[in-house]
Amino acid sequence: MSKTPKICIIDDDYIYRYTVVKKMENMRLDAKTLDFEDGEEALNYITDHLDSDTELPDVIFLDIDMPVMDGFQFLKEFDKIRHQLKKKISIYMISSSLDPIDIDRAKRANEICDYFVKPIKTEQLELVFTQLKAS
Amino acid sequence: MEKSTEKAESKIPYHKIFIEQAPTTIVMLDKNMHCIAASQRWIKEYNLQGVEIVGSSYYDLFPKISKSSKEVHQKCLTEGVNTTDEASFMNKSGKVKWLHWEIFPWFISEGEVGGLFINTIDITPQKENELKKERTEDIFAQTKEVARLGTWEISLTDNKVYWSKITREIHEIQDEYTPSLEEAINFFEEKYSRPRLSAHIQDAIEKKISFDLNFELITAKGNRRWVRVIGKPEIIDGQFKSVVGLVQDISDVTFSKLELNKAHAQLRSIFNSNHNVIFSTGESGFIDHFNKGAERLLGYSAEEMIGKKTPADFLPLEEVKKFKYDVATLIGKSPANFNHYSDITYEELSDTREWNYIRKDGTSVPVQATVSNLRNDEGINIGFTVVATDISRLKKIERRLVIKNERLNYAEQLTKISNWRYKPYTGETFHSKNLLRILEIENSSTMLTFEDFLSYIHPEDRESVVTHNEESVVNKEFKNYTHRIITAKGNIKIINNIGEVVLNTEGNVVELIGTAQDVTELKMAEKKFKGLLESAPDAMVIINSSGYIQLTNKQTEHLFQFTSEELLDQPVSKIIPQEILPLSKKNISSFFNGSKVKQLGITEPLFGIRKTGQKIPVQINMAPLQTEEGTLVSLAVRDITKQKAAQRKIIKAKENLEILAKTLTDKNQQLADFTHITSHNLRAPVSNLNSLLDIYKTTDSKILRESLFDKFEMVINHLTTTLNTLVETLKIKSEHNEDDIADIKFKQVLHRTEEILAGEILKSGARITADFSECQVIRYHTIYLKSIFLNLISNAIKYRSEERTLELEIKSMTVNGKIMLQFKDNGLGIDLEKHGNKLFGLNKVFHRHPEAKGVGLFLTKSQVEAMGGTITATSQVDVGTTFTINFN
Repeated sequence: MSKTPKICIIDDDYIYRYTVVKKMENMRLDAKTLDFEDGEEALNYITDHLDSDTELPDVIFLDIDMPVMDGFQFLKEFDKIRHQLKKKISIYMISSSLDPIDIDRAKRANEICDYFVKPIKTEQLELVFTQLKAS
Repeated sequence: MEKSTEKAESKIPYHKIFIEQAPTTIVMLDKNMHCIAASQRWIKEYNLQGVEIVGSSYYDLFPKISKSSKEVHQKCLTEGVNTTDEASFMNKSGKVKWLHWEIFPWFISEGEVGGLFINTIDITPQKENELKKERTEDIFAQTKEVARLGTWEISLTDNKVYWSKITREIHEIQDEYTPSLEEAINFFEEKYSRPRLSAHIQDAIEKKISFDLNFELITAKGNRRWVRVIGKPEIIDGQFKSVVGLVQDISDVTFSKLELNKAHAQLRSIFNSNHNVIFSTGESGFIDHFNKGAERLLGYSAEEMIGKKTPADFLPLEEVKKFKYDVATLIGKSPANFNHYSDITYEELSDTREWNYIRKDGTSVPVQATVSNLRNDEGINIGFTVVATDISRLKKIERRLVIKNERLNYAEQLTKISNWRYKPYTGETFHSKNLLRILEIENSSTMLTFEDFLSYIHPEDRESVVTHNEESVVNKEFKNYTHRIITAKGNIKIINNIGEVVLNTEGNVVELIGTAQDVTELKMAEKKFKGLLESAPDAMVIINSSGYIQLTNKQTEHLFQFTSEELLDQPVSKIIPQEILPLSKKNISSFFNGSKVKQLGITEPLFGIRKTGQKIPVQINMAPLQTEEGTLVSLAVRDITKQKAAQRKIIKAKENLEILAKTLTDKNQQLADFTHITSHNLRAPVSNLNSLLDIYKTTDSKILRESLFDKFEMVINHLTTTLNTLVETLKIKSEHNEDDIADIKFKQVLHRTEEILAGEILKSGARITADFSECQVIRYHTIYLKSIFLNLISNAIKYRSEERTLELEIKSMTVNGKIMLQFKDNGLGIDLEKHGNKLFGLNKVFHRHPEAKGVGLFLTKSQVEAMGGTITATSQVDVGTTFTINFN
């Protein structure tokens, strides 16, 4: 994959979104980022760009706890439009919750690639990029 | 006479001469009984030759004259009448003389007796005849008695019938009875005897024909007897005056004769019978009789056999040899060269055995034959008679019987039953082979006597068995009983005897019949069952289908305090008063309906009653029990007094636990809420701080580092707010102070809230209506209630619809004694299907409203729940939301 990957961050926490972008810059990981405050905004964007290879993200960092539409609700809706997508989108669920109920529920959702606990670590970001290149 | 008497005195000498010359024995006496004259015959008769008779006194001549004779003489002299006298006397030669005297007077003048004439007639021959006749009659009478000879006489002059004593006895009629001729004849059998007798008597009377015949008489008492009647006309002095006769009872003789005739007829019919084979041999050994039955069975004709063949021609040699051997042995002679004709002399032989006769066609037929010898008057054997019966059919039946008997034996072996018969008066016994097997006697051909059997009976039971037997005979009833035996091998077994007493028509005991069954295993099983019953931890009660107690165990006695005897045959309701079985139902098994056990007293209370009347809670396991006597029901009764007490304790504990669980659930929920808050609302800013710090450390850019401080400030402010909210929540959840509680008027709280929110209400133009008519005052936490009003009203304003004026209705209610408060708006509404579970969560925001922080409802819920109430919401997107608080 030669193209610069597009990474979508769905999280209502502005500071978190900021730290992820800055961390990637520090690690010199070349990526375009898109950010949404809740699941609904992200879903609307994806629905609007179903056919656009360039507009659709390669990776989604999805928060659980969000207003209006939370991470699980987003996954449910995303699953409905998945088959219409032009490209494969890898979803990583990233939450500050250490609640085992949340972790278990996230891991059981087959739409996601992995579950990371905030703050996201360097190695985890590297893994995301490695897997992206491999696919 | 008178004329001659007149001339008597003058003519005495003439008289005298006349008398002396008279041919009769006569003497003439004067009035003084002195002889005047006597005939020569008189002198000769009295042997008075040479004796001076004339002038002698008559009494001097015959000094032995009796006084009575003298009186006769005097009577004649005085009354002048003729008399007679009679006397016997012995003469000198010792011979008895019978004399008859005719005494008549002679007259001197009319009316004057001159003396007597005594004319002597010797009647000795007549007298002797008379005596002889009397004697004969006497003997005859005695003979009649012995020979049962009765006499009768029909007098022809008056047609009267005379019957002797014996005759009356034969007729079985009383002594005084005198019949007429017709009546006499009517005693005879009507059909044959009466007309015959009648005719013969007629002939006797009319034609003087005698008869001697047998007739059948029916006595006055209705008995039939045969009599021989002899009748003959009696002619006396040439005159036919009567018919006399004899009657003799000959019943015994006649009946014997009849029997003989009958027997003879029977014998003839037997001899002529087709079914019996009868033949006989003479001295020579040749057959002299060969009946139809013999012809039929053997295929030889009588002509072929009689005088031509001997029985050896159709008897198997071996059987003849055996017969000769047995006969010789029987009569105590040497079997060697024994000849059953000449060697049997005085012995009477009657041998019955089975033979196989060989027919003319060579086939053989089994017969049972009785061989008897014939003897002449001297008792010498003059041949044999043989009566034989074809027993081929019997043999077949016998074979079948043998097979059946074998099967019976087998069945008896399997069931360990033996059948027996015992005749108490003869001591005869019969028993099936299996009895020997039961007794473990190896030699299985012996037939045991009653005494033999007794010897196998256990010594302790022997007397009772004998007694039982005797009682059976006396009472004519056999009661089933059980006794022990010691077998030939020394094993003790238990025998059950079932039997009955056979009576004859007179009601006398003929025999006892019955079966003896080895019930050792059954008894052992019964013992095991009883042992099991006794060891059962529950009170076991076995009842029959009518609900009567049949068996109980020790535990039953313990539980109900009745003894087993007190319970036996009592209705089960004595200890379990409630109806546990549908006893009206005939079929118990249908009650159980396939299921093995029914449990009672599990859900419904069930009680047992002790002897003392004390009630005890019980549980019953009930099961049908199939036995020989029908379906029984076993009840396992368990005292559950302790369980009941324990149950009450458990229920109490359970109730306490439920309260505890409720509290714990509440606490747990609060803890979960707290966990959620810490994991989301506290961890997020902390992780942000970490991330920012990480960026700060790794960057060299000064500009970036400075800009990072703004971010740090933002995160720290957020964290502070969150922590403040949490602290407040924790305060709510902790125990509140009694001083915070007061009676508060809803109206007042609403008023205060409206004052606080006056600006926003004004700006939004919201219309708030309130109805506290149902409940105006509540005793509640003052600060919480104010907070609840503030949060819910500000929420309503915050999430109002832009398209319509907010209308908020607040209403207090009392439902089931509980105070409720309702806030109903016409705002944006929430999709509760999506967000329902998060509605009251901390920092949960459902609208992109700048002021939405997700704190208000979280606090409201905490406050309501801290006071023991609940808050719920119903909502419809773009219609409105209703919050309902149940203050409880």
